[in-house]
Amino acid sequence: MKREIVGKRAIRVDGHSKVLGKAEYPQDIQKQSMYHGKTLRSKKPHAYFKLNIDKAKNLKGVIAILTAKDVPYNHHGVLFKDHEIFCTNKVRRVGDPIAFVVAENEKIAKQAVEFIEIEYDEIPGVFDPIKAMEQSAPIVHKESNILYHYKIRKGNIENAFKQCEVIVENEYRTGMVDHAFLQPESGIAYMDENTVVVCASSQYPHFDQIEIAEALNIPTENVRVINPAIGGAFGGREDITLQIHIALATKLVGKPVKTTYSREESFLAHGKRHSMIMKYKTGANRQGKLVAMEANIIGDTGAYASWAPNVLRKAGVHATGPYEIPNVKVDSYAVYTNNPFAGAMRGFGAAQGPIAYEQQIDEIGRKLSIDPITIRKINGFKVGSETATGQILEASVPYIQCIESVGKALGLEQKEGIR
Amino acid sequence: MSLKNVYVAKTLDEVLNLLNQYGCESKLIAGGTDVIIQLREKEISPKVLVDISNLSEINFIDESEDKITIGACTTFTTIAESSILKDKLKGLVQSAESVGSPQIRNAATIGGNICNASMAADIVPPLLALDAEVLIESKAGKRRILLDHFLMGKGKVDIKPEEIVTAITFNKPKNREALGFGKLGLRKALAIARISTAIYLSLDEENTCRKIRIANGAVGFRGMREKEVENIFIGKQLTEDVINMGIEKLREELNQRLAGRSSAEFKTTAIAGIFKKALLETANNCKE
Amino acid sequence: MKDINLKINGKSYRLSTNEDMRLIDVLRDELGLLGSKEGCGEGECGACTILMEGRTVNACMVMAFQTDEKEIITIEGLSNGEQLHPIQQAFIEIGAVQCGFCTPGMILSAKAILDKDTNPTREMIRQGISGNLCRCTGYAKIVDAIELAGKLLRNGGNNCEA
Repeated sequence: MKREIVGKRAIRVDGHSKVLGKAEYPQDIQKQSMYHGKTLRSKKPHAYFKLNIDKAKNLKGVIAILTAKDVPYNHHGVLFKDHEIFCTNKVRRVGDPIAFVVAENEKIAKQAVEFIEIEYDEIPGVFDPIKAMEQSAPIVHKESNILYHYKIRKGNIENAFKQCEVIVENEYRTGMVDHAFLQPESGIAYMDENTVVVCASSQYPHFDQIEIAEALNIPTENVRVINPAIGGAFGGREDITLQIHIALATKLVGKPVKTTYSREESFLAHGKRHSMIMKYKTGANRQGKLVAMEANIIGDTGAYASWAPNVLRKAGVHATGPYEIPNVKVDSYAVYTNNPFAGAMRGFGAAQGPIAYEQQIDEIGRKLSIDPITIRKINGFKVGSETATGQILEASVPYIQCIESVGKALGLEQKEGIR
Repeated sequence: MSLKNVYVAKTLDEVLNLLNQYGCESKLIAGGTDVIIQLREKEISPKVLVDISNLSEINFIDESEDKITIGACTTFTTIAESSILKDKLKGLVQSAESVGSPQIRNAATIGGNICNASMAADIVPPLLALDAEVLIESKAGKRRILLDHFLMGKGKVDIKPEEIVTAITFNKPKNREALGFGKLGLRKALAIARISTAIYLSLDEENTCRKIRIANGAVGFRGMREKEVENIFIGKQLTEDVINMGIEKLREELNQRLAGRSSAEFKTTAIAGIFKKALLETANNCKE
Repeated sequence: MKDINLKINGKSYRLSTNEDMRLIDVLRDELGLLGSKEGCGEGECGACTILMEGRTVNACMVMAFQTDEKEIITIEGLSNGEQLHPIQQAFIEIGAVQCGFCTPGMILSAKAILDKDTNPTREMIRQGISGNLCRCTGYAKIVDAIELAGKLLRNGGNNCEA
């Protein structure tokens, strides 16, 4: 069979328009007689509030100001509907959307947002996920702040640690990360007869359609989502941001409504990579063979769940890395706080763990005077290995080859006892 | 923005007249890389903007027998590419090269960097180490002031609303003298200095330090001379022991200055490496 | 309002601008030259890079009135109709384009590099694009593409088989 595609360099279909600067991102879309929107966002992490829009509404050039009252179904979210489209009376993080001004131009919209009077009644917040897990912590939503708990139990961890020659134990913390995709969120919505059309860069357009329809309380067939060119996403465009706002606005005012976030607002608007606190304990025998690993992983999902259960499940499943370990105990948690919310980002929960378990492996090697390459070759997955969750890896497990190549490239192979 | 009027000045006289007329309601704009952000963040709200980026009168690098004078509107790209500065004043070139990105260096000017008075301004430590003077003009006349006195604090310089910085001037390095520079940023491009250091050194044939001026950036509310540290070196040979004594003194100074800051431990540790590398490079450059 | 004369991509424009407009606002909102992108508005990302008087600047870091009588080249001025500039050709050929939002600015920084020297070292290229962020992290391909573009320019043609 002749190979037409595999092994050949393909020219991407949108390459031509992109090098010419002609590719159309949402901010590049202009419509006749369109209005501009601007979001009012919370400046407090945890507070009740009262809103007065009278002064802003009377500003010349302001067409409408949308608040929670204007939303037929004021909830959204990819797994749980824990976001409000506009907060009703409580904010849970800095950046929570409260109102959306529609005005003749961007300048007026910005000014009107400053004219909205908001009175906060601050309540204690919780910003440390460990504290958030305590009984006495301020509650971000209802009942517990512990949103999700995933467990792995394999073998007998207590007995296994007793048999270990070396045990290492440490705590590792990773920070929150923003995707900083280069194109800040932007979108334009307009009416096509009875249909609300929303053009915005999204990683989840079919789900956006459902969420927009739910919020507006109209049938999905009356919502059309157009995904123009997307200036990077990396997970950060899985949760909806401005799509419902502009859909509500255009439905209300009948004309096209566009909004474009600044970089600063983009940071406030979308989710982050979960910061994690990872407590690890790892044991090995005299030969360097790993015997037991215990991991306790706490992911701070901030004010909203987004994909936290899936992310923390993945963090748990991958907690032992690419290593054969017969006795494993993993607990991973997703916890609400009043921090910026966290969701999907490249790696989706599997990116934080290596910072912990790879350092554990190095530490074990150091204690046994085994170099970093060898200790990994002793323990690494190969065909036939069993993972912590009991999966037998049946084919294509090139980890050992990979680590050997790394050793060679680093010139580490022949040396012994590398520190 | 309450901006009412904008002017593109073609001559220095025009600028002096405008400044005289509008005073504190006006703001000069050259490269714009700080001013535009301040305007948009509403940190400043002038009524009048005066563009000075086209003023050829203050865009020059001039070399006389014993002085070098750099016009205030000289961009960092021009400084980085200058053949006058490239050998003994390598530290000045390196600091110019370390500013922002190519786009920023093509626009941003030496005068702007000084007047913006950021604690991390890249060009300030080398100019302090050169003991540079700032030339200032207004309709009322001219004056000159040591840069060390001109910088008053974070965001503050000794300039009146009707004045403009026209140039920076300093003595040319003599035989066995040179200027060196070191910077630690979070990455190579577009990084605000976490620490920067500049050293002006004069060595005799025996490797003894005749003169030294040390200035650091981003370790205080403005770029600062380290006179206590300088005293350790003067009259001594640059041996390993003397260098280590100097570093110890430097760390002591920083420890005091940064007390209570979260960055103190990091900066007092990191300065040792940055300073030593810059000092050795400068010493080598003196001998060439 | 402030009247300015601009020469963009070889064409003269005379227009009235608001005092507080930046060059990026004039290009995008007044002239419809939408190829220049605004990624950060503070000179960090380089997506709005254009050539002014032959040098790269961030169009978000220049006030519109400062550009009076200046000669400007944007991404729209690189191609000749549908005929791509060798840099554009090389970017497509090598696969240096992903999300594309950095691409126009990146190509103009590439032009500034190659205008100086059509045979730059990889280090010179990396220096030259150090003010342009690519969050898809396709830097290796971008450097490859600029190398290829230099080769095409040295051969005086557009032929990517070169």
